[in-house]
Amino acid sequence: MKKLITLEINGEQHELALEPSETLLQVLRDELGLVGAKRGCDSGGCGCCTVQVDGQAVYSCMQFAHALQGRTVKTIEGMSQNGELDPLQAAFIEEGAVQCGYCTCGMIMTADEFLATETEPDDQQIRHAIAGNLCRCTGYQKIVTAIKTASARR
Amino acid sequence: MNTTVVGESILRPDAYEKVQGGKGFPVNVTLPRMLHAKLLRSPYPYARILNIDASAAEELTGVKAVLLPKDVPQKKYCPVYFVPTMAASMVQDMVVMSDTVRYAGQPVAAVAATTPEIAERALQLIDVEYEQLEAVFDPESAMREGAPRLHEDAENNIAVNPSFTFGDLEAGFEGADHIFEGTYKTQRAHTCYLEPRVCVVDSDINGRLTVHSSMQHMFGLREKLAFVLDIPESMVKVVKPPYIGGGFGGKLDIGYIEPIAALFSLKTGRPVRIEQTRYEDFITTTRNPIEVYLKTGVKSDGTFTARYALSTLDCGAHATHGAEVINVHGMFGILLNYRCANQTWEGRTVYTNNMIGGGYRGYGSPQGSFAVESQIDEICDELDLDPIEFRLKNAHQEGDPHPFNPEFTLSTYRFADCLKQAAERIGWTDRAAAKSSNGHKKRGIGFGCQPVWVSGCMGFPDIYEHSGAIIKLNSDGTADLSNATVDMGSGQITTLCQIAAEELGLAADKVRMTYADTDTVPFDAPSHASRVTYSAGNAVKAASAVVKKRLLEVAGDLLEASSEDLEVRDGVVYIKGSDKKISIPDVIKRAEGPFVVMTEEGPKPTTIKEKGTIIGVASMAPPSNPSPSSVEFVELEVDTDTGEVEILRVVFAHDIGKVINPMAAEGQVEGGFQQGMGYALMEEIQFDADSGACLTADFLDYKIPTAVEMPPSIESIFIESNEPTGPFGAKSLSEPCVSVPAPAIANAIYNAVGVRVRELPITPEKILAGLGKL
Amino acid sequence: MSLTSVTGYFTPEDNEEVLGLLQKYGDGAMIVAGGSFVHGLDARDLLNGIEVLIDIRRLGLDKVTADSEGLDVGATVTFSELQKISEIRDSAAFGAVRDALNYPPTQIRNVATVGGNIAAACPYFDLPTALAAVGAIVKVQGRGGPREIGLQDFFAGLFENNLEDSEFVSGLYLPLPPPRSASAFIKFETNANDLAIVNVAVGVTLDESRVCQEARVVVGGGVAETPVRASSSESLMQSEELSDELMRQAGEAVQSDLQPMSDHRASAEYRTAIAKVLTERALQRAVARIQL
Repeated sequence: MKKLITLEINGEQHELALEPSETLLQVLRDELGLVGAKRGCDSGGCGCCTVQVDGQAVYSCMQFAHALQGRTVKTIEGMSQNGELDPLQAAFIEEGAVQCGYCTCGMIMTADEFLATETEPDDQQIRHAIAGNLCRCTGYQKIVTAIKTASARR
Repeated sequence: MNTTVVGESILRPDAYEKVQGGKGFPVNVTLPRMLHAKLLRSPYPYARILNIDASAAEELTGVKAVLLPKDVPQKKYCPVYFVPTMAASMVQDMVVMSDTVRYAGQPVAAVAATTPEIAERALQLIDVEYEQLEAVFDPESAMREGAPRLHEDAENNIAVNPSFTFGDLEAGFEGADHIFEGTYKTQRAHTCYLEPRVCVVDSDINGRLTVHSSMQHMFGLREKLAFVLDIPESMVKVVKPPYIGGGFGGKLDIGYIEPIAALFSLKTGRPVRIEQTRYEDFITTTRNPIEVYLKTGVKSDGTFTARYALSTLDCGAHATHGAEVINVHGMFGILLNYRCANQTWEGRTVYTNNMIGGGYRGYGSPQGSFAVESQIDEICDELDLDPIEFRLKNAHQEGDPHPFNPEFTLSTYRFADCLKQAAERIGWTDRAAAKSSNGHKKRGIGFGCQPVWVSGCMGFPDIYEHSGAIIKLNSDGTADLSNATVDMGSGQITTLCQIAAEELGLAADKVRMTYADTDTVPFDAPSHASRVTYSAGNAVKAASAVVKKRLLEVAGDLLEASSEDLEVRDGVVYIKGSDKKISIPDVIKRAEGPFVVMTEEGPKPTTIKEKGTIIGVASMAPPSNPSPSSVEFVELEVDTDTGEVEILRVVFAHDIGKVINPMAAEGQVEGGFQQGMGYALMEEIQFDADSGACLTADFLDYKIPTAVEMPPSIESIFIESNEPTGPFGAKSLSEPCVSVPAPAIANAIYNAVGVRVRELPITPEKILAGLGKL
Repeated sequence: MSLTSVTGYFTPEDNEEVLGLLQKYGDGAMIVAGGSFVHGLDARDLLNGIEVLIDIRRLGLDKVTADSEGLDVGATVTFSELQKISEIRDSAAFGAVRDALNYPPTQIRNVATVGGNIAAACPYFDLPTALAAVGAIVKVQGRGGPREIGLQDFFAGLFENNLEDSEFVSGLYLPLPPPRSASAFIKFETNANDLAIVNVAVGVTLDESRVCQEARVVVGGGVAETPVRASSSESLMQSEELSDELMRQAGEAVQSDLQPMSDHRASAEYRTAIAKVLTERALQRAVARIQL
């Protein structure tokens, strides 16, 4: 049975009729066309679906829609302000941290939460922070550099 | 050669979109009234289908069509994109949906419905009656007399068995001072492209198909789909995706999804989408496991006198890429890498009831390099020879005839430089002798080589190798580049735009990769075989040269100079040695403007010979197949209580001809190490010994390195040898960096703890067993 | 794709509502909090007949209170939240819990809850092993009112716990051990987002002469259907001075307490060998925490 769920996504209120079995990933992609969150495994193993719920990075493929009532969601589409890229997004481009780009949005969402509390992380801390985000193209090296660069700018 | 755009770490134009969401991935394609299809897959590894009752599925609300084996064409084909479908060197044994199941997971039915959930539920309502047959899961058993025969025309289940011989092997062994033998085994591994295999196929009232797919070869998909459906190729249009989410060779063949989606679309008149789950991807494509037996004869000083190898490749239920992987493996994994007058290699691609294989970066060479480079170290250890000197002694030299095709030469070949520079960077001469470290954590350094490789497929039997491009100048001084090269993340867009910009005399951000489909652009071979920079790059450069020639003709007319006296710099055409100039936008205004222009003095004609869009087309085969060369050194630490390996440092050296984009090139090496390291230490697709069911169908069970397991640094040394046949001197890069990590790691482990593991992955358990602690 | 078998998702606000739902749906209901295990169970065909999920995160079980006796942790406290509690973050006594919480990736820590993790009765998880080493007590709510059950008695078998119908985990109690106590936990995994191949937790209490007053050695991961108390290892240390050599022997002794299985991740022999190594290392780490 569909239930009416209200939640805030990237600063906008939404009221959606959702099935109990739906996940946040489906809500974002299929209901709202916010395709930044991506399906890589649908089982909380790859991190491509990572978004933030109430400021915390989560696997959206495992968040149940009916649990989202009243929650605040931030996706990659909410990262840039007034057309200005967030320092993380800019650093990913400048440091060559984007190859195929499929893991990129999830990485940025995880890094965004991480940098909210860690202002001067070292490489090891960064690697631990993104342990739940797989990348098959970059070997992570330039992603770590980009997150470090961004931390200095934020 | 002085270049201004080529050689710079230009930022990727596609990165801007990707960090903001990435709309261009094929997985995002939706069309109005789109249906969703799902495949029902056999739980049994070998079975005949006796009956399928799909009536309950058909009646489910929302189900629009069902396809069973009897509903689909039974034409046999080879699904590999980069060869003609009926190429003689490949095996045509694949069918879209068959009455005979040959591996667990093979599709046996399909449903198209209004939502994926309904389609999934409908699958559960399909009743399939199977007659299970006795299955066989390993090549040795499959080749034995009395084994179940999996394909009519494959005796002893051998799909192909190529062999190559040079010289006199027997004499070679007679002339040897020492003979070494060993068997080396590699496992089934997955590319783990993160964007799943996905397609949307639409059809019009004339039955013309439009295909969106996450794939590495537009024209290959067109050819194969048309073949399977028995329609002319011109009835299939494949749209170029702006970019795809990884391929690595795992999207180099037509899957089940494109033909089935096409059939559904033709049947229902609606677009049909199929997206594979991660489980389905794990059983769709794999790097073939190969067992290599090596017998090698050497003189006491380390010179090869004879090399024999026998390779057995498990291709699973269908040959697919296996008929070509075995050849590349034999050639570039084993035979051609070093000089030896007497060599024989025999290969067998063997059918089993395991999952089918696909392409994967390296394409047979990682399996070979692991064996060869491990054995060389074993030989050096036994005979107390220096491993670097050994390789140099047996290496090809620059200027030698190309070992694969003597019509070409090793025009640039800096293998020796790679070895020396990388050895120096990592501190090779300071390393400890094998097994000499103290404490329970022991360090070691080792290296592996890919001495000979390819820049594309020029000269290989049956493999497509030509590229094309169309380039057009715009009135704002930008250029549009249209070609059929798919960017799967390695930076194809950036590389080709840089090459075009350099040739045209434009700044990098003035060249834009734009729309293409198989109706609008010339043929291009796939993004594979390390070919895009060299092969497609040459075609893009050629098309740019056509554009530039025309530009200079028109500009010459306007500047009243001969086009030979003109040059282009940063979007402006100059008369050489003078400051008379005209900007490209002004040239275009003239070329594309009306023939008669209204002036204060009235209408004035311009000249006809300036008129027309400034556009260039090229379609060509590359001139050669130059060999890059590479070496990787790895320093690691082994925990002798647990067997765990920690990679401390990596140094990679590569003779690249010319680096088009240094940052992108580093990215290839770093990413290649993640794949090579995973292959060496932890990755393996595993199956239940009795049922053939996949045990490693998600990332929880199939382990790939996360950021935590990676070494703190990976250093790249690029040796620029300026290849005369390459665009601005470039050769290729991306595959050797995946072939070399495994032997480097195996050799480093031996140096650290004296344990020689000849089977991948080298898990902590195998090391601990090797230490005698289990 | 969604779990089409799930047709109801409830977010009750009090115990009575929960009990009512459990009564109504019986075996068709599953209590969840973060819900991060549900899709994994479904993928392995273990969500047999579950039709509704009962999300208990509105019951106010998200608090942690500390007093002189111990730490009271509500069932829906997440790993991330628990990591920030000073007793967990800084103490030697609950070091094992700190260690265990640090392993999963961010996205799991933000969502996985203490109660959900225990209730799952999954022997591959980390927290049960760590909690067993610190003598945790499970708090349960049900139709018969609240009760407590020792962690070891809570687990019945593979994915089976000893809850009655209509019961759910409402929290955990971690009693504060005597002074000069410490615990440690080590997980052996292939990569940083993995289930344990083996994990070990130890909890020790020493006197001033380093004589062991109490020792708990718990082995989990793929070694049995529930975490195993390695009693041979424990009795070896009891009342003995905990020297380096004794800790090494305690590791050796663990092996006889285990009957692990072989699977596609590791063989039984390897699991046993690692358990030995991890036990000794965990003991070293725990003892070092006491010195500090």
